[in-house]
Amino acid sequence: MEKREKRTYSLKFLRKWFFILPTIIFFIGMVVFPMIWSLSLSFYNWKAATGGAKIFIGLRNFYTIFTKDLRFWGDLRFTLFYVGMAVFIELLLGLGLASLLSKKIPFRNFFRVIYLLPMTAPPIAVAFLWRMFLQPDVGIINQFLQRINLPSVKWTTEVSIAPWALVMVDVWEWTPFMFLALLAAFQSLPQEVYDAAAVDGASSLQAFVYVTVPMVLPIIVTLVLLRAIDAFKLFELVFGITGGGPGGSTESLSYYIYTTGLSYFDIGYSCALSWVFLIIVLFIAIFVLRLLRREV
Amino acid sequence: MNIKHIGKNLGIWIILVVFTLWTIFPLVWAVATSFKTMTESYTLSLIPYLQFKPSWYAWNEIWGRMFARVSKSLINSIVVAGLSSLFVLILGCLAGYALSRFVFEKWKNKDIATWILSLRMFPPVVVLIPIFLMMRTLRLLDTWRAIILVHMLYNLPLAVWLMMDFFNELPEDIEESALIDGCSRFGAFVRISIPLSSSGLVAVYILSFIFSWSEFLFAVSLSYNRAITFPAMIAGALSVKGLDFARVSALTLLAITPPMVLAVLMSKYLIRGLTFGAVKG
Repeated sequence: MEKREKRTYSLKFLRKWFFILPTIIFFIGMVVFPMIWSLSLSFYNWKAATGGAKIFIGLRNFYTIFTKDLRFWGDLRFTLFYVGMAVFIELLLGLGLASLLSKKIPFRNFFRVIYLLPMTAPPIAVAFLWRMFLQPDVGIINQFLQRINLPSVKWTTEVSIAPWALVMVDVWEWTPFMFLALLAAFQSLPQEVYDAAAVDGASSLQAFVYVTVPMVLPIIVTLVLLRAIDAFKLFELVFGITGGGPGGSTESLSYYIYTTGLSYFDIGYSCALSWVFLIIVLFIAIFVLRLLRREV
Repeated sequence: MNIKHIGKNLGIWIILVVFTLWTIFPLVWAVATSFKTMTESYTLSLIPYLQFKPSWYAWNEIWGRMFARVSKSLINSIVVAGLSSLFVLILGCLAGYALSRFVFEKWKNKDIATWILSLRMFPPVVVLIPIFLMMRTLRLLDTWRAIILVHMLYNLPLAVWLMMDFFNELPEDIEESALIDGCSRFGAFVRISIPLSSSGLVAVYILSFIFSWSEFLFAVSLSYNRAITFPAMIAGALSVKGLDFARVSALTLLAITPPMVLAVLMSKYLIRGLTFGAVKG
């Protein structure tokens, strides 16, 4: 009897791991191993384009990043600006729209389908679509501005405007997502709370600020952080609209790592950059994971 | 009171219409432009017949001169997205079930789930270089296999997380009664849990398909000719040859349509998927 129990225990043990082991092995092969390899390569000077040999240089790549690489710091600044502005504007617009339209929307499914379009379109397609609109010379927006006698705007060729142009595209792409997610959150709230607030004489604005927002705050925070993490990956819009220009003012960190590694084949340095980028994002990701790590 | 009511409703309608137009306008413009000639594509005109003469120029280009490249990359994209999503579904189902039903002791369920989710959070570019070198060493560059593996990496965390969520919502009693009736655990999983969560399975498959179809960074880095996917092909075709608005529009629409159709089919689950189950839209 005892023996049998033991056997079922070990069988149970095996069965548990049979379900999850394939996934874990896959991730070890595709993430853990590559990351360790990348870390070891980051200690080398390996410029594969010139056929150069791998030379061990210790921490010198990291030293260069932190002390001399102005391009890295510029790119970090732009990436942070892009993430901050885009997510902030999307949240404001999303909150505004969701609070105004939370009651009853006629033809709800029709509108919902339209709002799903930008976020499901491949980002590179969105990029080329907007490049068509933002072109300084023949772009649709500038032609329109000229038609109504306004000066045209150098959307992608002016250092002070190009970052905003990319923020605008991100806002176009992701505000509907914020809106729909917040709308779903608002509509899951019980009606009684609002009735109680109305009995106490709260206006609809007061009800929104003092009742709705506090109740959905955890979801708002989760959405903002998820969106921020996602915006950090910015690559396609840079690739398709500005190519990092003008003067590197719209180069994201992803784009920098991509060109360093796969255009200049400066393998060691791009691996070092990857690790620095990873650690920056990790700080933000930790907050998100805490929030999403509900009772599993 | 009635006037106030009407005014408020009117205000809401105006906001709704303005936001909807802003969202859909670029796409409508692309549709119109894809039916223009190259010269007309640079003009401000939206309404066919009235403002411009519709032309099949761009679509003829795509199905004519570019046909070989377009059809090859479309097939590649469909195969890669279809197969990678299938593998993601199988692995995600198993792992999600394990995290939902079994208790892991040393390495706790929560920790495993958080670890898996964290893999979706970090920017994919940080593994780009080592994976590129790995695929080169294995002689897998420019093959379906390389891109399928990478897209699995991209989608598996989401699949595990969502399947775990779906299985958590299934009552355990039915499985338990099957176990008492002599069904094995795996049998109960295959015969009871999977059929009961079939809508979840479809949602996960379609979501992974959409993400795989749209993925660009790895597609453009790991494939250049034989296995090139549709988004990577567009980028190549457009950056070489200036910007022909009519052709840009047609190619863009071709890239947008499949995920769009799929998203409409499963609009209920899309927000839930994009928020890792935090919002049940």
